[in-house]
Amino acid sequence: MTDYISAYSQSGHLFIPRLFQGFPEIKEALMSGRMQAAFMVAPMAIALRAQGVPVKIVYLGHRYGSAVVVRKDGPVKTFAGLRGRVVAIPSRFSDERLILFRALAANGMSAKDVHMIEMAPPDVAGALAAGAIDAFSMGEPFPSQAESAGFGRVLFHARQYWPDYISCVLVVRQDVIDHKPEAVQVLVDGIARSGLWLEEKERARQHREHAADFVGRYYYRQDPKLLRWALLNPIDRVKYEPLSPRRADFELIVRLMVQTGVLDHPIPFEAFVDTRFAEGARTMTPWHYEAGDSKAW
Amino acid sequence: MIEIKDARKITFAIATWIAAITAAHLALNVNWSVLMNDRLPEAKRKLNVAYIPVT
Repeated sequence: MTDYISAYSQSGHLFIPRLFQGFPEIKEALMSGRMQAAFMVAPMAIALRAQGVPVKIVYLGHRYGSAVVVRKDGPVKTFAGLRGRVVAIPSRFSDERLILFRALAANGMSAKDVHMIEMAPPDVAGALAAGAIDAFSMGEPFPSQAESAGFGRVLFHARQYWPDYISCVLVVRQDVIDHKPEAVQVLVDGIARSGLWLEEKERARQHREHAADFVGRYYYRQDPKLLRWALLNPIDRVKYEPLSPRRADFELIVRLMVQTGVLDHPIPFEAFVDTRFAEGARTMTPWHYEAGDSKAW
Repeated sequence: MIEIKDARKITFAIATWIAAITAAHLALNVNWSVLMNDRLPEAKRKLNVAYIPVT
């Protein structure tokens, strides 16, 4: 979104967005330096830092927007029905896995009660429809894909078990932070402005419809109808504000990662988050941009 | 038997077809902004930002 709208601003295209189909590939590209920044699930970013990869989280991509989905006509009617079932998650290092752990604990169950498998996000809806899996825990628009196609039913949204839930974060290589901090700030400012634009009071619905259209066509290569469903059913299904990384949110993720065995020991917030860019973006205002405008400012 | 005149026509048609397909591929499938960006001096290079089609 930031790329699309900023193209109409005075500064023009400032970044090159690169589409990937899975988080492991993004991780490799970031480690090798082929990508200088990336959106990835928060636990993966923390794990990379814990392994000594020189990257930092500088901002959030969104809040909420993940759900556990089951087959509408399938055997899972309640949470307890997940016992013994196959549940797809995007990665061992994902918030979608952690939310499942939290929900299992809240329902008196444990990870031993379900069979979790890793699957690339674009594959889960098809796998659910084909009966290859019984449920999936995934970010939007894949819950919307299953729901709008009529074969999936949201068992629960992440917010039900995790207030202020976060999933994707913006990660930047340390060498870029050190040598091009102004570029990182422009990127974070743009994301902050895009988030405010999507949440802009009475204009929010209109902006989200427009965003679904251009993001679907030019960036996600998905049917805009699907993104419209994800962004509007209901309108707070995915939130784009506040996106500053907060200590308490990340300390909870680190604690859950240690508890669930994907992190050996806790690492301090400062080791994997650089808050200066979020602080720099604090005074940002929404983009001034409407569908069809030739200018954005 | 194919005459030399016909052979030339066929060769020309094949060469034209290959050139057209190559041009279409270069125009549609190659991300030129990425290629050009990677060739710029590091200070002038835009940031490559990876994303997947999730939220």
